[in-house]
Amino acid sequence: MEKVLLKKDLNSWAGKLGSYDIYAPFKSGDVWGYELMENQAEITLDYPNTAIPPKKILFPQREVLFEFEATQEGGMEIREVLPDDTPKIIFGVRSCDARGLAKLGKISQGGIEDVYFTRRRNQTVIAGLACHNPPSPYCFCTSVGGSPHSLEGMDILMTDLGDAYYLESVTEEGVKLMGSAEGIVTDPDDKQKADKEKIHSDSEKKILLDISDMEKINEALSEIFDTGLWDRESLSCLRCGICTFSCPVCHCFDVNDEIIRTHPLKGKRVRTWDNCQFPDFTMHSSGHNPRSDKASRLRQRVMHKFRYFNENCEEFLCTGCGRCIEKCPVGIDIVEVLEKAKTYEK
Amino acid sequence: MVTLEELKDNCRQILKEGKVKYIIGYKRKNGQYMTVPAFLDRIEEVDHLVWDPSCIYNLVRYLRDEKMRKEKEKEPDTRPVGVIVKGCDSRAVNILIQENYITRDDVYIIGVSCEKSGIVDEKKLTKKFAGKDIRKLDFAGNGKIQVTCGTKNSVVPAEEILADRCIECTIPTPIVFDVLFGEKTDREVPDPFKTIKELESFDTTRKWEFWKEEMDKCIRCYACRSVCPMCYCDECVADSISLAVKPDTTAEEKAHKIRWVEKSPVISENFNYHLIRAMHLAGRCVDCGECDRVCPVDIPLRYLNRKMEKESLDHFGYTAGMEPEKPTLVSCFREDDPEEFIL
Ligand code: SF4
Ligand code: SF4
Repeated sequence: MEKVLLKKDLNSWAGKLGSYDIYAPFKSGDVWGYELMENQAEITLDYPNTAIPPKKILFPQREVLFEFEATQEGGMEIREVLPDDTPKIIFGVRSCDARGLAKLGKISQGGIEDVYFTRRRNQTVIAGLACHNPPSPYCFCTSVGGSPHSLEGMDILMTDLGDAYYLESVTEEGVKLMGSAEGIVTDPDDKQKADKEKIHSDSEKKILLDISDMEKINEALSEIFDTGLWDRESLSCLRCGICTFSCPVCHCFDVNDEIIRTHPLKGKRVRTWDNCQFPDFTMHSSGHNPRSDKASRLRQRVMHKFRYFNENCEEFLCTGCGRCIEKCPVGIDIVEVLEKAKTYEK
Repeated sequence: MVTLEELKDNCRQILKEGKVKYIIGYKRKNGQYMTVPAFLDRIEEVDHLVWDPSCIYNLVRYLRDEKMRKEKEKEPDTRPVGVIVKGCDSRAVNILIQENYITRDDVYIIGVSCEKSGIVDEKKLTKKFAGKDIRKLDFAGNGKIQVTCGTKNSVVPAEEILADRCIECTIPTPIVFDVLFGEKTDREVPDPFKTIKELESFDTTRKWEFWKEEMDKCIRCYACRSVCPMCYCDECVADSISLAVKPDTTAEEKAHKIRWVEKSPVISENFNYHLIRAMHLAGRCVDCGECDRVCPVDIPLRYLNRKMEKESLDHFGYTAGMEPEKPTLVSCFREDDPEEFIL
């Protein structure tokens, strides 16, 4: 289904979606993030990109898995906690981030199903936004199989035509959601169709970063596991969590018990985002850590994204959003590292 | 003013003589006007060395990596490491020496004076020159910075684009150094604690509301801690696993490790983390501003640390990193210390 929605009508459409929790880009200070909107009039899709990707809505940084409490009889009562099932809409998701959600979706289905992610994804509609201009000079979606108007992971793709949005449904969910806009939207005319096509093809040309020979990256990486490249490239790394926390596909987590009371025992088991750049990541209880220095942690980040995942799933675990480059406080640049990896002479 | 060529010559010289293992300095970020930390171990690499208002980093933080690396090596190269420091950074070196974390012989300190200028705040700069193609920043002397956009140069008063901490800095010349470039400059700063003035005037409820909102944003990426030259503990109370676990740590000892801060990024735990960090930096923070700069969600961390600095100064007349041979603020007792807080 394809429709056109005047920009001024975005809020009245959102007003009809009262049964959904609506998330949209929101600016606090200088930083954009996806927030639960209490007031539809505040929804704006005119934004660069958020600091933290929308994965935080479907895969929150903290998730309570279950609660436990010791009983008088000496047993343990366990209560499962599942995400609430209010349907959600996320407006303004960019193509890279929607692809990120699609990848997370695949991961959540691999082996044991991640019921928390799946439940949330199943009740969420993604109304994404095509990019006119890359929101960051570090965008490289086109090098990793994406595009500024990719449909992957979207339910609806919206394209900004100036005074209106061009809406394309991608899934059944999208069709249903667009149905709710009946009376507000119109059918696109030929000019609008052509405009949309032109915006899409122009947007691809505006991406500044381009990594060539990505099909050879797997082989290149397999040859440099044990080289000095990683030491050299990680010298300035701070081992902070910015690059992976801001990544739309990084999904490592840790599980801990949060104790509310020790006698009788009561607490919650929670999962929180973990991070391969932290020194305690993969630390064994003996104190040994197979990734004991920054070099092996940077290597892990790059290898997981461009080699291991690629070997297992035949795609990259990277959507080219550029956040890890833009946000790294010391200028470590994954594209630069890949370029060096390709030409590294042992 | 610092002459870059002289600075480079000195670096080439000490590398040539083998006086230092390598030099930690600044180089241009691939084709951009900002810099990244550089680790120069070959004389040719010195060509890339940069000193201009884009040298935002406090490189002293990397002495921790050096120490960790040395501890792992069987036969470590014990020559000093050269490090380029600004006024604030030099005080951080002093504290590391004062706290016996490193010795004076571990470092060859190359001081650069910020004189009447300092380091830019990239956000202020890009706002002021929005839409312009910024190519280069230069010190223009006398409290001015030259910004080159395209082929056009504009000279602006430094305070329009300086980082807040530089505007409030009273010690722009390194305190400790082996060699110094630029002039020793005194700087009159009418109100060095201006940043926190407004917040200090809030009543408790308003302060609480302010910090609650800020703490709610924290994602606990620990960039603030990781970038801090003073946060060098092997075992940080904020980590969920103690990094000080060694192969010979017994199960008993592990079981008795207390988890002070939960990993969950919720307001209570975020407060916990930040208050612990602020207290641990009291009398140690040199206001290099790095924590504030790196925070991806813009939490104004300087407010916390600046307040602790003010307390140290007001109550104990203590400024961190000035006298490495004297005991640190929190490790000494003086008979004339104020005691009004003791009941
Ligand atoms: S690469 Fe950058 S963002 Fe990632 S851990 Fe290192 S310093 Fe932090
Ligand atoms: S850098 Fe900012 S977000 Fe990260 S832990 Fe520190 S305060 Fe929190």
